Amino acid sequence: MIVKADTTEKKIDVQYYALLREERGLSFETVMTIAQTPKELYGELQKRHGFRLPIERLKVAVNDAFQDWDSPLQPNDNVVFIPPVAGG
Amino acid sequence: MFQISTSPIDEVALKKRLENPKAGAFVSFEGWVRNHHEGREVVLLEYEAFEALAQSEAEKILQEAVSRFEIEEAICVHRTGALCIGALAVWVGVTAAHRGAAFQACQYIMDAIKSRLPIWKKEHYANGDSGWVNCQHCASHSGSDNHHVDKSLGFDEVHYYERQMRLPEVGAEGQATLKQSKVLVVGAGGLGSAALLYLASAGVGTLGICEFDNLEPSNLHRQVLYHASDAGQSKCELAKRRLQALNPFIHIQTYDKKLDLNNIEGILNHYDLVLDCTDNFKTKFLLNDAAVHFQKPLIQASIYQYEGQLQLYLPNGDSPCLRCLWPEMPEADCTGTCEDVGVLGAVPGVFGTLQAMEALKYLLGLPTDLNRHVLMMDLLTSRVQKIRQIQNPACPICGENADRESFLTMMNGNAEEEIDLEIDLAACSREHLNAFQWVDIREAHECLQDDFEALLVQQIPLSRFNLEISTLSPQHAYLVFCQKGIRSKKLVRVLRQQGFTKVYSVQGGVKQIQNWLKAPLQ
Ligand SMILES: [Zn+2]
Ligand SMILES: [Zn+2]
Repeated sequence: MIVKADTTEKKIDVQYYALLREERGLSFETVMTIAQTPKELYGELQKRHGFRLPIERLKVAVNDAFQDWDSPLQPNDNVVFIPPVAGG
Repeated sequence: MFQISTSPIDEVALKKRLENPKAGAFVSFEGWVRNHHEGREVVLLEYEAFEALAQSEAEKILQEAVSRFEIEEAICVHRTGALCIGALAVWVGVTAAHRGAAFQACQYIMDAIKSRLPIWKKEHYANGDSGWVNCQHCASHSGSDNHHVDKSLGFDEVHYYERQMRLPEVGAEGQATLKQSKVLVVGAGGLGSAALLYLASAGVGTLGICEFDNLEPSNLHRQVLYHASDAGQSKCELAKRRLQALNPFIHIQTYDKKLDLNNIEGILNHYDLVLDCTDNFKTKFLLNDAAVHFQKPLIQASIYQYEGQLQLYLPNGDSPCLRCLWPEMPEADCTGTCEDVGVLGAVPGVFGTLQAMEALKYLLGLPTDLNRHVLMMDLLTSRVQKIRQIQNPACPICGENADRESFLTMMNGNAEEEIDLEIDLAACSREHLNAFQWVDIREAHECLQDDFEALLVQQIPLSRFNLEISTLSPQHAYLVFCQKGIRSKKLVRVLRQQGFTKVYSVQGGVKQIQNWLKAPLQ
């Protein structure tokens, strides 16, 4: 069976925390993307903005719940990229 | 029926009210004003009640008596205002079918009234002195922990908590619960300052503080427990002094040491609840692993510049732990410490206060959902998010296959790496250390107060290290230090990769060097 990749663009809300927020210079943006998963989305944004953190050092939450990097993205999803923080 | 009365109690009328053909027994108790208390001659008493709370609590007590004992009815009246010696201060009357239940219920009511009602008495002594005494304390005259009103303060403990005891969720019972609670706060920095202040003032009976740093001037903008004139002193002792002055009615225990695998169980054992107010992954993960392993509830918070995260681990449930999300401890360099990236003092203030709030909720038995969510807050945008998290069955610490072995392996893994990069001065002979060249990598503004003339120290600020590294030789032995030992350890890791095999970081940084210089020669 051949699964055809869905190439239609969808609107995704993206939030950045900690180091990512600093590197991006903002904490929230809406992007148009063809990314199918949070992993693809991060790859895309990393290329665009030069984020230093590799995906292995981040967690992702979709619609207020932690999710796998390979879970499918739906239009209008809210995606949050979260680096670990330790300050006190 | 319960009543607070400002006029003399009419016990005859009260007895009449209790008349009941089903009653075969009537028992009454009268509390009189006596002329001595703890060896002092008393001439007059003034009673004061926090009425709303006394009323609701007393009604609860009478209800309890009715449901516990087979009685018909119970009445209690308590006086307020000024009373002379011999005056009737409190009256309890109980009717029942049989005398046994009446006797038992009467005693139960009176004991509970004494120990649970927010009623104080001011004793006027023969020598002209006077003092407030909490009747709740009088209830435990036979007990050992019987501290009365602080003479220098002139008011009693219950006055201190009056406003929070007004809350139905707290009340006299909740306040008593807080007093019996034992909470350990690890880290008395930005988060810890805020958390400790609110836990102490809320009346958490036993507060443990674990902190090994000395106060630095750069701490003051966010560590609001301390005064500018305290710089250089042990934070643990300073915190204790400040909190004891804030609330003299609580007990404060200090641990002026770094938590490690060997001491953590002994310390955690004494507490019902632990707050992680630390600023580094190593202690955060050690605390997390130990909390899961020894089944202690843990409230964790971490901040970064203008934002922070908060979560709660509860044992015996399905609440996830820190390793459910981060099975491996993250590298310290993928995020910054407050020293590197900067922080506004109000941010740890907010999160430390949230930790105190969660702690009080936990102790008072109020519900929370932060045991299944991570609370994330960006204080720049005022964005607040709760992100759902579930327990990870594959978690190396709380998952299905986790056991004591995995806890020890995990912690020993950290310990081994440590030993290799760091040197504990106290554990080395002076002769051994003579072979090393000391390198101070702090920035110029950090080194103003310190004087290490006794040592031959080469100064290479970290910001210029790459430019000056050619002055160092990979064959030489170096002891690299910074303020705390965090930056130096990071640097040593890098230098090892560049072929420096005999370079070590000084564990604990400047404070440890100072202690070591002060210690007598071995
Ligand atoms: Zn007494
Ligand atoms: Zn876990």
